[in-house]
Amino acid sequence: MAAARLCRCRCRALLSRPAGAVRARRGLAAGPEMHFGFQTVTEEERREKIYQVFENVAKKYDVMNDSMTLGIHRVWKDILVHKMNPCPGTLLLDVAGGTGDIAFRFINYVRSVRQRQLQRKLKHHQNLSWQQIFESYQKDEFNSLGDSQVVVCDINREMLKVGKQKAEHLGYSEGLSWVLGNAEELPFDDDKFDVYTIAFGIRNVTRIDLALQEAYRVLKPGGRFLCLEFSHVSNPLLSRLYDLYSFQVIPVLGEVIAGDWRSYQYLVESIRQFPPQEELKAMIEDAGFFKVDYENLNFGIVAIHSGFKL
Amino acid sequence: PSHSYTGQGGQQSEDYESEEQLQHRILTAALEFVPEHGWTAEAIAEGAKTLGLSVAAAGMFHSDGSELILHFVSECNSKLSELLQKEQKLVQLGEAEKKPIDEFLRDAVEARLRMLIPYIEKWPQALSILLLPRNIPSSLNLLTSMIDDIWHYAGDQSTDFSWYTRRAVLTGIYNTTELVMMQDSSPGFEDTWRFLENRVADAMAMSSTASQVQSTGEAVVQGLMGAAVTVSKAETSRAVR
Repeated sequence: MAAARLCRCRCRALLSRPAGAVRARRGLAAGPEMHFGFQTVTEEERREKIYQVFENVAKKYDVMNDSMTLGIHRVWKDILVHKMNPCPGTLLLDVAGGTGDIAFRFINYVRSVRQRQLQRKLKHHQNLSWQQIFESYQKDEFNSLGDSQVVVCDINREMLKVGKQKAEHLGYSEGLSWVLGNAEELPFDDDKFDVYTIAFGIRNVTRIDLALQEAYRVLKPGGRFLCLEFSHVSNPLLSRLYDLYSFQVIPVLGEVIAGDWRSYQYLVESIRQFPPQEELKAMIEDAGFFKVDYENLNFGIVAIHSGFKL
Repeated sequence: PSHSYTGQGGQQSEDYESEEQLQHRILTAALEFVPEHGWTAEAIAEGAKTLGLSVAAAGMFHSDGSELILHFVSECNSKLSELLQKEQKLVQLGEAEKKPIDEFLRDAVEARLRMLIPYIEKWPQALSILLLPRNIPSSLNLLTSMIDDIWHYAGDQSTDFSWYTRRAVLTGIYNTTELVMMQDSSPGFEDTWRFLENRVADAMAMSSTASQVQSTGEAVVQGLMGAAVTVSKAETSRAVR
């Protein structure tokens, strides 16, 4: 009797420890059961495993993306930025942005929009005196990005390292910053960003509802939430071909190119475990977003969800 | 803002507007930036900024600015309806004379076209966007309802085919005058108003010509019938003899 009470006390003590603490006793199911691919693990285990997956694949991440999707992922990311249609002066938060693909595309887009704006302005300013032109250059009216900025946030140090190296290599320096952070608990103030994007990242977040709530918190009123993610294919024939390709070809590519079959097996399984388009739309609406909509790309292999904080 | 309560005590009412009302407010605010940015998503973004929203709110609308133009057109049409209604009330109360049809049409079309003057530089761009296949149903709808309104206040109560011809004629007058206005550089657009006057006069003349043609046609037919009867009677009488 006393022993039972003692046992119960110990259980309660374990459960009441803060979530950050490592649950050593694997025997006691000390956290809610979650999926890691097709395995069942606890919440904490899932976070650790996913961290390890991306630590392993970081260096070969871009190469693997190109080979798995035959380069189509570039088009998907382009479509995302076109849908965003950012104007100069936009502040973008790219979560799980690791190697910076979305951030670089955003910078390119804003730069070209800004150039067109400046050309139009110059056409109107044909009759300025030299003094006035000199003054306008002083005022830095002609800055090439128009005060747009992108903050790349990722939970994985290795991915951020690869991203920074890429930025240096490609010559992106202005308007870009790199922050280490967890999507479920963003290190930013409320009402800060114009657009929040998460491309192929929300699948790896352990508590999607928390990530969505954080997204709602850090966005300004009127701000936009955009999520690019693998989703469910409804066409049965295509779905079978897609399954065949995913389970037979991709892990093999992973082994051959990156020397890591398990990580890519996880990747493929996690796509199957992710909620389909309508369910994700409902989750986004639950977080408080309005005008939530999704657009299927390639028959549902990938979907872009969009919502506004109104 | 998904509930549409109205009048929930002034301060609260902003939280309870619907999405449509918020979009309406953003588009109205965006109109003042049109002369500078044109009918584009940029103007909508600037409009959203003045309301305290993020520029990303412009993503709610299509990127070619067509919703902004349609909003503007529908606002102008409502203003025209109000104007015509007020005039009608004045006439009913006996404080104003009932205008003859051609003057009424001329004044209505002129009032409607004058609303374009602040945006006249960017209006050709708007017209071209309204002609995109995607936008044709809505823009045509707005145009026909405006023309219908004008004829209604002009006192048209026809129920025969002339209903269609009247609307077709007025649509033609309106569209051509609009196009003339686009490239008119005379002071106060007087060339446009003169053009409008001539077109309306033409339309009036045409309708009287049409009725003249009809009565002439009837007369001719009667004459032919009479001639035919006379000839056939002459034939039978000759045959009898």
